[in-house]
Amino acid sequence: MLECKDIRKHYGGVYALRGVDFSIRPGEVHALCGENGAGKSTLARIIAGVTRADGGQITLDGQAVTIAHPARARALGIGIVFQELDLFKHLTIAENIALAHPDFPRSRVDRAALDAFCRPYLERVGLDFSPRSMLGGLGLAAAQLVAIARALSMRAKILLLDEPTSSLTEEAAERLLGLVREIRQSGAGIVYVSHKMKEIFRIADRVTVLRDGRHISTMPAAETSIEETIRLMVGREIDLLSRVESAPKEECGLRVNDLSTRRLKKISFAARRGEILGVAGLVGSGRSSLGQALFGLHEWTAGQVDCLGKNYRPRSPREAMRSRFAYLAEDRRSEGLFLNTSIRHNASAAILPALSRGGWIRGAREKALVREELARTRTKMAGDTLPVSALSGGNQQKVLLAKWLLTGPEVLFLDDPTRGVDIGAKEDIYQMIEALAAKGKTILFASSELLELQRCSHRIMVMCEGRCAGILETAASSQEQIMTLATGQASL
Amino acid sequence: MKPWLSRFQSGIGLLLVFILAVLFSPHARDGSIIFLNLGNLSDVLRQQAEIGIIALAMTLVIISGGIDLSVGSIVAFSASLLAMLLVRWNGAGPSREAIAMAAAIGACALIGMVNGVIVARLRIQPFIVTLSAMIAIRGLARWMTNNNNIDFGFGQDLSARFAALFSDKLLVILLWAILSVIFYLLLEYTLFGRYLRAVGENEKAARFTGLPIARVKLAAYILSGLAAGLAGVLHAARSHQGNPNDGVAYELDAIAAVVIGGTPLSGGQGSIAGTVVGTLIMGILTNLLRLRLIDANLELMIKAVIIIAAVWMQSVRKSSKA
Repeated sequence: MLECKDIRKHYGGVYALRGVDFSIRPGEVHALCGENGAGKSTLARIIAGVTRADGGQITLDGQAVTIAHPARARALGIGIVFQELDLFKHLTIAENIALAHPDFPRSRVDRAALDAFCRPYLERVGLDFSPRSMLGGLGLAAAQLVAIARALSMRAKILLLDEPTSSLTEEAAERLLGLVREIRQSGAGIVYVSHKMKEIFRIADRVTVLRDGRHISTMPAAETSIEETIRLMVGREIDLLSRVESAPKEECGLRVNDLSTRRLKKISFAARRGEILGVAGLVGSGRSSLGQALFGLHEWTAGQVDCLGKNYRPRSPREAMRSRFAYLAEDRRSEGLFLNTSIRHNASAAILPALSRGGWIRGAREKALVREELARTRTKMAGDTLPVSALSGGNQQKVLLAKWLLTGPEVLFLDDPTRGVDIGAKEDIYQMIEALAAKGKTILFASSELLELQRCSHRIMVMCEGRCAGILETAASSQEQIMTLATGQASL
Repeated sequence: MKPWLSRFQSGIGLLLVFILAVLFSPHARDGSIIFLNLGNLSDVLRQQAEIGIIALAMTLVIISGGIDLSVGSIVAFSASLLAMLLVRWNGAGPSREAIAMAAAIGACALIGMVNGVIVARLRIQPFIVTLSAMIAIRGLARWMTNNNNIDFGFGQDLSARFAALFSDKLLVILLWAILSVIFYLLLEYTLFGRYLRAVGENEKAARFTGLPIARVKLAAYILSGLAAGLAGVLHAARSHQGNPNDGVAYELDAIAAVVIGGTPLSGGQGSIAGTVVGTLIMGILTNLLRLRLIDANLELMIKAVIIIAAVWMQSVRKSSKA
């Protein structure tokens, strides 16, 4: 039905796609796999007319087409649901669905007709909100379903789903998979972009793997396996399960007693020096809140904390840093980086007072210190005066790690440090974490990936709804056990 | 584009405007180009000095992610207050000029501080805060003076001596030049400059890095008040009076100079050199239009086109880089 040939796209000097072939047949689910930065989203955006390719051609039902604009894609029967939803918070569900719909005139709004039009699609995606509720109040999962309902309402022949389950609960994800099967039955072709291998292998008919913007392989799902797909995605073997060997010391690094904030309820734990304490939990479980509260970003309503044997109650990040606590934020782009600023200035941002004399920055000292630290974190770059936005996700994260290591911390809260980082850099980050622990630092390592928590940490604290649901010895823990605690089904 | 080339892009713009001015300038009776006449060139600099000084501090405010619309009113307030002190204050003492000047500029710094406190502590949008200040300070200046011009005296009168000193072309131009260097150093080589860019580019990341966001913003608005206060002093000296209705739309001229100099209103980026160049471009164009005796109202329309064109060329440059 849809055929893409030799699609190319580059941003500046960075190649996102270097000649990718891809096709969709009617009535199939075609999964698009690859690591972050492999080019999945770029390809989906090109098909949906959001991004223009630099080269290659697209044919639809045998005819060459140029999809220069999302409206053109819609007219061709191509619908897309983005990972970052393109919906309007201040409009109602119905308005969001009908806004770009060709069947609705712009000049006159008939609310009853709108509602009647939207209802069947909302029902199909299993959303039981009134079509007149404001989108902003719905939450991410419901918004995702609205986006899918909108795509359905366009009667798309080709539906692109970019990480559709990333913000859904298990139950909602299950319903979505059912819905995808249903749409397939109606004869539409579905492109399914996802990281979740299990999901892919439950519904996909064919699997295409991209790596570094190249087409690696397209296989019928029945003839391949999760293991093979991952191997193709990564391009080399990795040993995720090699565990840490270093042993924590006796002294306590951080002791938290009954810490409470608006989002946290009586958290208690202790981490020794040289220990890597994993922090597991679903999105919204309070992992980030814990890190931010300990870093002096939120007000404490109760609790007593000792850091390196001293009473610790920071009222600002600066005080936290003075007590040698560092917090690597979860959302690199919005909470960590100054994207247009140079790598060097990003890395030195937290230690500028120490680098200056009488308000003047000592440039030579800054340059030397930053160079040294960036070399230690193995940051790959063409030069540290380039803007940090020129780096890959993994190297950006290393710059931020360097920034915090420059503050000379003894206790580090790393909030999902490998999010959106390629496998090679992940491995570097694991090794760095282990090396820091071996030097006697206390590490709190929060992550959504259980595998990496099990690989790195000595113990794993599981959080659920702002509480500490339990602390497990890594060696004696299973993923099922962690998930049970994280979903609040049991507590130790 | 090569980095060194794009770095001097606004400088190239200045050169083009300069050449344009040379080509289209009327000629004097002896055949010389009037625009290139030393007196004319220094007039351009002197005319732009007030806007130029305001624009320096405006650059910092804009880099911090804000804007200061109150500077035009502050110019009027500063000029009026200074004139009142010089003309009506009969106290004795050796350095009354200095005290009057310090009082006027100090009061303006205080206004900047109020702006800064409201922006940084109450977290109200800078546009709204300084728009309100623009209205209020204009009112204050008119109320204070009963909406009358306060004329400086002549001869050996204190205000006359003051005006003679501070309307000196060389002094005014030198003052602007020295301040440009100071602001350049402040932005490029100090802790404050670095924080300013960080806060303007990503305030959340600045907070997560423990930077003193409120203090940085406060300082930017105080500097803006100071600069506008000083511009008001120069303005009073040049116009030989304190007029509470002067300085109208100065804030827009200053913002235009900053923007033409390549500093985006979105914050985080920008340069003092660009702002100086932007101020000069505006000054040369105005001068050229006046030399050609083009209607002042037409001049406004041409200015608007120049601003849009300059910003458009910068956005083209940026998207071709990305």
